[in-house]
Parts: sequence; C-alpha cells; structure tokens
Amino acid sequence: MYGGDEVSAIVVDLGSHTCKAGYAGEDAPKAVFPSVVGSIDQMEVDDPATTDANPGSAVDAKINKTPEDGKSKGKRKLYVGSQSLGFRRDHMEVLSPFKDGIVADWDIVDHIWDHAFRECLLIDPKEHPMLLAEPSSNIQQQRERAVELMFEKYKVPALFLAKNAVLTSFASGRATSLVVDCGGGSTTVAPVHDGYVLQRAVTSSPIGGEFLTDCLMKSLGSKGIKIKPRYSFKRKEIRPGDFQTVDLVLPNTTESYRLYSQRVIASDIKESVCRAPDTPYDETAYANIPMTSYELPDGQTIEIGADRFKIPDILFNPSLAQTIPGMENFSELAPSVRGLSQMVIESISRCDVDIRRELFSSILLAGGTASMQQLKERLEKDLLEESPQSARIKVLASGNTTERRYSVWIGGSILASLGSFQQMWFSKSEYEEHGASYVQRKCP
Amino acid sequence: MANAVSGMAVDDECKLKFLELKAKRNYRFIIFKIEGQKVVVEKLGSPRDTYDDFTGSLPADECRYCVYDFDFTTNENCQKSKIFFIAWSPDSSRIRSKMVYASSKDRFKRELDGIQVELQATDPSEMSLDIIKGRAL
Repeated sequence: MYGGDEVSAIVVDLGSHTCKAGYAGEDAPKAVFPSVVGSIDQMEVDDPATTDANPGSAVDAKINKTPEDGKSKGKRKLYVGSQSLGFRRDHMEVLSPFKDGIVADWDIVDHIWDHAFRECLLIDPKEHPMLLAEPSSNIQQQRERAVELMFEKYKVPALFLAKNAVLTSFASGRATSLVVDCGGGSTTVAPVHDGYVLQRAVTSSPIGGEFLTDCLMKSLGSKGIKIKPRYSFKRKEIRPGDFQTVDLVLPNTTESYRLYSQRVIASDIKESVCRAPDTPYDETAYANIPMTSYELPDGQTIEIGADRFKIPDILFNPSLAQTIPGMENFSELAPSVRGLSQMVIESISRCDVDIRRELFSSILLAGGTASMQQLKERLEKDLLEESPQSARIKVLASGNTTERRYSVWIGGSILASLGSFQQMWFSKSEYEEHGASYVQRKCP
Repeated sequence: MANAVSGMAVDDECKLKFLELKAKRNYRFIIFKIEGQKVVVEKLGSPRDTYDDFTGSLPADECRYCVYDFDFTTNENCQKSKIFFIAWSPDSSRIRSKMVYASSKDRFKRELDGIQVELQATDPSEMSLDIIKGRAL
C-alpha cells in the first residue's frame, strides 16, 4: 500500500549474540546466525606437528615472530555462520567482535557482513541500499567506522543508521516510549521521545541472555550435571530404540570452542524450562518445587528444579548470581549492576518531568531474552510496587514471539521499504562530498 | 531533521482544516490518515459532535492521527478549550501501519501549529474522557 516495491534495501541488525539480516519489506529476517566467529591462526594450523617434533627449530622461531609483527590479522582464517561454527576444528577459537558492547574488532564485523550478504542473502551489496540498526548509545567514532566500511569496501549506493530503541518503539506504533531491550550480551533501557533516544537517560547492565546461560551452566555443574558438547561424542542406534554413546577424545579443541558448544545446549535448556518467578526468588520457598526433565543431546535426562526460577530472577536481582558456585567473580561487578525494575525507574527519573507519565505507561519489552515466560508480568508487578503511586504502569510486549524477538529488525524492514523513506538515505554521492562525519547530520 | 523519520508528505488540506478548527472553531475534530505517501484529511466532525461521536469514528484496528477541540470547565468555573493531538495506534493494527504512523508523527505534528496537549493511545482506555479531562486541567 505504501511501499515502492522496486526498492530492495537490506536490513542488518548485528546484535551482541545474533546477527539478523534480510530484505526490507519482509516480515522476518531471512538470515539469523551467531555474532561470534571461529578463528584459526594460519601459522599454527600449517605446522603443529613440526612444532611438536622439533622444539626450538626454525619453524618455532617463525611462530614466535608473529606476535611481534603486531598481530597481523591476515594470518587467521575466520569461520562465520551457525553451520561452520557447528563443525569442530582443531585449534579453532571462538571470538566475538564486541567488547563491552562496542565493536572492538572490525575485521570480524567485516566477515560477518560479508557472510550475510554473499552467503545468506546472495546479493551484491553494490546494488542495495543498506539500513543498519545500531546500539542506542553508539559513539560517533563507531558510526563513522561503519559508514566508511560500508561505502569504501562494500560500495553500497546508500546507507542509513537507525537506533535500536527507535526502531522498536516505532514498530509498536509509538514515537514516545521506554524501550527495555533484553539482549544476549546486555540489557539496555532507553527512553525514546518523538523518535529520538534521550541519551542522558539510557541505562544498561551486562546481564543479558548469555549471562543467564552461564549462570545456569555453572549451577547445573555444581549439581554434578555435565553438559557434553555435541562434538564430543558419537551416538548410534545399536538396536531399535537402544542407543549407545561413545565419547571422542579431541585434545586440540580450544577451551573457547568447548564453552561455545556447551552454551548452545545450555541456552536451549534455559529457553525450554526457565520462567520468571512471580515474586522475588526465595531459596526455601522453591526448595520443594517439582522437577522438570530435559533430555540432553547425549541421551542423559536431567532434572531441573529451583533453577528454573532462580536463573531468570537474576535479571531482577543481580546479586543472586553470587550464590551460584563458580560465579563468585561476579561480586566485583555486582554493586554497580541494578535489577531490571530499578533500571527502568532510574532511566525514567533522568527524563524530563513532563514525559515521565507517558514513559511509565508505554514500557516496551524487546530482545531475545524478552521471550522468557512471565517476564512481562513480573516486570509490571515489580514496577507497580516500586514506582511512584500516581504513575500508570503499562508494560507491553508483542504477543507474537517473532515480533518480540526481532522488533528491531522488523522496524528497520518496514522503514526501509517505505516509498517516502527513499529520500532519507545517506547516499554515496553525499558521502563522497561530505565524508563519513556527515552521518551525524543524515542519521542523527 | 528527525531521527529515522519516514519522510512522509503532508497534504495542504490538513493544515487548512486545522487552521479552521483553531480559528473559526467550525469543526469539533479532524481525523487524518496516511494514504499513498502523504497525510490526508479523512473525516471532519461538526461542532455539535460529542466525544463519543469522535471515538466512534475511529477504526478499531487501524492507525490514525486526530485533532480534537475539547471544551471544559476549570475548577474555578471558567469555560476553556484545549486542542488535543491524538496518535491512535491500536495494538491490533498491522505492524506496518504502526511503524508508518509512528515514524511520520513528529513531522506531521510540526505542521499543525497550536496543539496544546498530545496523547498517544493504543487502546480506547488510553484516550477515555477521564484521561482527556485529566490532561486538559
């Protein structure tokens, strides 16, 4: 009805956990794959045997030289996408392009984009305008870097950067709202007013889906449950209905790869059994909770009890994480990390008095972790208890899981496909004339 | 230039009718919709129409922008009126239309000079007469 159908822009939302990419105008992203990549140092792969055999030889010296060369990045091979990551390789480390929520390794981002364009979407980036979703508090230097890479390397005809929170807010029909984005690597609360993110009032915490997955893994580990990564065993059906599991010994597997593979399983356990408790978690009250069973890939069935409720409650009460064996190192962080409802209240109280009422009544829950059962109800309940009496609280989350999970991408998809949006793009000629810093004017 | 705006155009008719509502007070309300790539006037309410007539004219599952001229009496018994701008975006409407209306709102609102109170509503309870009264006072 509104869109120009000829326009085939590409929308990319590179999150801390998953990269979502697809064609503008569609209902859901076509490509969804991990934001981490596998990396093998080429030198090591070439001669592990020689190194072992002749320590101190010329080959060894060559390896020692590499770090002095200033970590030349061309020397490694990167594997992107769920499939290539799913395949275990000797010495393959799992790396993330992000550090503390911002891009630290642009080479990895480059590989991720390349994979999305050429292997998942099968497009030539030269022919498609590109809409990138960016974190709400992205800094100028990061934005310009993204712009340069897109125009210089991918030679895109036009580009637009849109803030996560704004896209989510628009996709729910609101120009003003408080967006609570529970993502993989972090949770961000960002107020949006008339389509602008109020930067001063953005609050965030490192507690996201991955942190919960780690807590669950440690907690299960402390109860003697060991999650075997899928690559570490072979499972055969010897007789119909009778399986045999054989462990494989793969000494060259890296620690980061083992962890990555275990997280994939733990995250599935989390998604299948966890739900936010209605009231703050209390060890004694949940001691006799009925167990829920879950079958691990290697065939062993585990029973999960109180953890089903305890793990999600960490979102509301981060200090709970310290009670989990193996998560003690979290205590350094703990004092500065706040629970979800405190973050919401803090963010709103940093906004102008005039818009607080409106923010309280349109709190939008989005992101991957927002699919946690009962999360919306619990947040609403906690806010009712903790917020100023006069406030009318309304927490909204799309009933449709796809819309909740991919609200950022969907918002971008609709925006980029609007006929009227086509005049808004930051074009290649504008880039050539004004340079990368012009992005601050075109996409404020 | 607003952030991530849709670039939607505004039909001159919208501004003219709004001026008439403001200056001559010959409409109680105006309902606008987005058609093609611009905002156009969909419906005009006569000055005798009530608030219920207005809410009754809104589609239950489609987004609209509206302007309502609200007459009320203050606590000091003083007759007053305020012009409301309401962004109607029901939860049941299509996500595409929510996106279009939300991303075009800021630009459109700027074209209408003289709005006193702004409201966004996603279900009828968020724009009930009580809320309107509360915001007017």
